[in-house]
Amino acid sequence: MDRSGGTRRRAVVLVWLLGAGLIAVAVALNISFIVVNWRAGLLLLVGVVSFVVLIGGLALNTAFLVREIRKSEQHDAFIHAVTHELKTPLASIKLYLQTLQQRELDSARRGELIDTMLEDSERLQQTIDQILLAGKTGDARRVDNPTDVDVAEVVGECVHLAGKRHHLTNGEVSLVDRLPCGTRVLGDRDELVAAVTNLVDNAIKYSGDRVKVVVEVASAGARRVAISVRDQGIGITSVELKRVFRRFYRLPDALQSRVRGTGVGLSIVRAVARRHGGRAYAESRGAGQGSTFTLELPLKT
Amino acid sequence: MSRVLIVEDEDHLAAGLKLNLEAEGYDAEVEEDGQVAFDRLVASGGLFDAVLLDVMLPGLDGFEVVRRLRAAGQFVPVMLLTARSERDDVLRGFEAGADDYLPKPFDLSILLVRLQGLLRRHTWLRGTYQEDEGPDQFAFAGKLLDFRAQVLRWDGAEQPLTLMEATLLRYLVRREGQAVARKALLEEVWGVREDTDTRTVDNFIARLRRYLEAEPSHPRHLLTVRGVGYRFLAEPDEQ
Repeated sequence: MDRSGGTRRRAVVLVWLLGAGLIAVAVALNISFIVVNWRAGLLLLVGVVSFVVLIGGLALNTAFLVREIRKSEQHDAFIHAVTHELKTPLASIKLYLQTLQQRELDSARRGELIDTMLEDSERLQQTIDQILLAGKTGDARRVDNPTDVDVAEVVGECVHLAGKRHHLTNGEVSLVDRLPCGTRVLGDRDELVAAVTNLVDNAIKYSGDRVKVVVEVASAGARRVAISVRDQGIGITSVELKRVFRRFYRLPDALQSRVRGTGVGLSIVRAVARRHGGRAYAESRGAGQGSTFTLELPLKT
Repeated sequence: MSRVLIVEDEDHLAAGLKLNLEAEGYDAEVEEDGQVAFDRLVASGGLFDAVLLDVMLPGLDGFEVVRRLRAAGQFVPVMLLTARSERDDVLRGFEAGADDYLPKPFDLSILLVRLQGLLRRHTWLRGTYQEDEGPDQFAFAGKLLDFRAQVLRWDGAEQPLTLMEATLLRYLVRREGQAVARKALLEEVWGVREDTDTRTVDNFIARLRRYLEAEPSHPRHLLTVRGVGYRFLAEPDEQ
């Protein structure tokens, strides 16, 4: 990965240099053309217009190429992360199955091994669901068959399940409900569950050892509801606040500390928000200061 | 009993590997962080007979761990276990100094025979003085020597020994009271046949005296026999 990363960076620099060089040549030609044909009237006009088109085309081409290279770089990182996320639990399941096959173990030990395998298959399923959902929400613009969804109930379920999944049962993850009873939005329940679960999972994953996550549901103005997830974790610098929602984007710090993930979670949150006519955004006072992610949805009218 | 260090941050895999290695009769330990594992391997100097090393690790990645181990003169056999199985990754692993490479998900039986192969080779390379039937531990003067664990313990303190230090001590302890020639030590402990400089032995003895003796300049256990070599005494006569 590092090797191909190096060649990619060189490719980006090369494309920039080539583009800048060509543009400079075109500009120089344009200027000399103007000087030579100063009194030619119509010819001058036609020439200058074609030069401008040429220069614009070159600039666009350069910018486009650089963007594509960046994209393919992120795509590679995504493939690596997914490979790891799929193969690791699979390796564990295979190891445990072969252990059961080859060794005589007492029934308590066998039970432990089976529980471990169930957790691993759960993790596999989550990764697969996540990738499929990223593909699905990436296409269409609106939710297909919207139904009434009780916001507090959905969020409560997500918080409860996340706590169980991460073995946090001592109030490390808490829910504050400031909504009038029975507040509903119109949408796809499964997608909303996935979006909120992603936010809560992220808050836990990026909290390190001291998990303190507060999930709050409240009204935002007269027509909207805000689901916000606040953590005391690694935080986000102001430059990264928007980038984190890009598909396949992962924080450099997260890669460093090997936080598990594929880089599609927040892009799903943003896509789900848009499909419901809402929005998703992040706030943080900076690295190490914790962060708050908010999902805003329009109320059912 | 061979000691194997498992360096793996996925706790399910680590636990599964540990269970299987212990069932095979190995002494297995787990580290989750690359940097911690590296420090431990260097500090224990030869305590482990083999390492199962993941690549994607916090702290220091597996490639870097094995590269630094080799640079630090640690040649413990290392098998990389990783989900990254592309050609470049495999090449990188071997270039860094790994002895074997197994992609995840792996087959348990294959893993075990490959590990056995690594350990066997390690034993062969360790030299001639390996067939030893005596006890693994020896107690004297309030100290406990553990040849197998390669460690010297006393009053709750402990001093890890390198493989050569432990082997040399064991050779002398087994011949307690006898004078042993420097040349014999070189041949039997180091497996050196040529006329090597016998000062190698003297340097080792000097180091061991710092571990064993209350006053290294007036040794009571590791005695010099003038013109011959050395003699080990467990209970020196009080005078």
